[in-house]
Amino acid sequence: MNEGTNAHRRRLVHSLAAVGALVFALGPTTAAFAHEGEENVPAITDVQEAIAILAEHPGLFPAEEVTDHAMDKVGDALESNDSRGVVLENVSQAKDALDAGKTEDALTLLERSIGACPGAPVIEPEDAPRTQPPLSSPCPSLAHIQGLDRSPVGGAQEPVLIALGAVLILAGLGLARRIR
Amino acid sequence: MSERSTGVESTPAEVQTPGTWRRFWDALDERLGLKGLQYPIPEHANNLAYSLGGLTLITFVLMVATGIYLTQYYNPDPNLAHESVRRIITSVSFGKFIRGFHYWGAMAMIVLIGLHLLRVFVSGSFKRPREANWIFGVILAGTTATLFFTGTVLKWDQESLEALEHNIEIGKILGRFGFWFSPSFGGIPFLTRLYVVHIAVLPFLFTMVVAVHLLLVKRLKMAPSPFRHGPQPEPTRPFTKHLAELGALALILIGILTILAVLAPPPHGPAPIEGIEITKPPWPMLWVYPIEDWIGVAGILWATLAIFLALFIVPFVDRSPERSPRKRLPMMIAAGVVVITMIGLIVYAAVQPVASHIGMG
Repeated sequence: MNEGTNAHRRRLVHSLAAVGALVFALGPTTAAFAHEGEENVPAITDVQEAIAILAEHPGLFPAEEVTDHAMDKVGDALESNDSRGVVLENVSQAKDALDAGKTEDALTLLERSIGACPGAPVIEPEDAPRTQPPLSSPCPSLAHIQGLDRSPVGGAQEPVLIALGAVLILAGLGLARRIR
Repeated sequence: MSERSTGVESTPAEVQTPGTWRRFWDALDERLGLKGLQYPIPEHANNLAYSLGGLTLITFVLMVATGIYLTQYYNPDPNLAHESVRRIITSVSFGKFIRGFHYWGAMAMIVLIGLHLLRVFVSGSFKRPREANWIFGVILAGTTATLFFTGTVLKWDQESLEALEHNIEIGKILGRFGFWFSPSFGGIPFLTRLYVVHIAVLPFLFTMVVAVHLLLVKRLKMAPSPFRHGPQPEPTRPFTKHLAELGALALILIGILTILAVLAPPPHGPAPIEGIEITKPPWPMLWVYPIEDWIGVAGILWATLAIFLALFIVPFVDRSPERSPRKRLPMMIAAGVVVITMIGLIVYAAVQPVASHIGMG
């Protein structure tokens, strides 16, 4: 009985060792395979993806996660074989800004590196021109673009519309009561 | 000369001579048959729970009205759509308010039609002979959900693009039946085709089905209350009274939507970019997100189909004439489990980190 248990234990240890060896041997290969060919992705695509990661609701995720994800893309951009349309110096500065935790600065630098305005449409980066056309008008500030989200209607409309809404609610409540 | 001066006695009928308003109303009735709307409906139908369907229809009308305004400024070209939404928010008169109203109206419509379905289910109003009308109701719920989804895509920010990419993946799972969801189908961009579906095909379908739905409600009459017992017939009220109450509730709804549109306008994210997955869907679609985490994009398709299939077969499973929820406990428990599971999935997805599901990035 003891011999059988020992043999079973030996087999288990050998199997685990074999799986461990396989994982150890294949692990780096798989990781390398995952990153293989990334230097062939145009730098402008990596930069556009980094911009989207930094710009898209940063409050939704932990700050480190956003920075790490963007940093990967920035690193890929710097190592890319195709840097057409990208000012790599700005990308390097953006990398430093990310390192320092200054994500808004990094975003501005990345946008500057491809000559884009904050929030400018970027569709199908694979097909996008590798150089940006010159800007016809000054870019709106990033704060202005981000300020559009979730900001109230503003201006003179706001109190009038709120008052109108309140009047409608009161009228509806009054009518409902009267009809009953 | 007046009658009084001539001493002629006026009859009671003459004293009650109808005023201008009354005569105008009678003239309209003579031509449009408006008094036909005064047919009796049971008293139990005159409350909020039995007004949810009507409120859904009113919200749909509001969506059409605000949608028409937005279509004047929205550009469904993928290269211009994001910018045109920005323009609506920043430059168009009342653009930000109308867009906010449209957004909150869509949320309200989803909630109202969901609650209406739930009310019909709990009160057993789908039972014979109203099975077909339940099915039309489920089709309306599906149409509403599709309107919501296509509307989410049209704003064309990162969330929209990712929603569209999921749609394309689901099209691939459907194989040859998913040809319409292929970006290469047709001669115009997919976004533009979805726009046509959002502003023309789905509203047309909704209008047609809701017309049949209402006709069947009229033809089959309101279902009896599941809580009323005894031999005495239930008191009735004219349908016009119900309409008046519905109008009052609609005023309250419009007021709430107005205030929400002003104080909490919907966000519009940065321009979309392909190749990354960094957003979650809006809350009405969030329940499929964990399922997608566990079994992949196909989970969205199968979970959605399962829910709608379950809704379609309700009248064929719960066939007893009993309407009281207390006497249909297994069905109530099953529905409760489904609703609680969906709410649980939404909450779970809301607190989970964003995950990449379609092998991007």
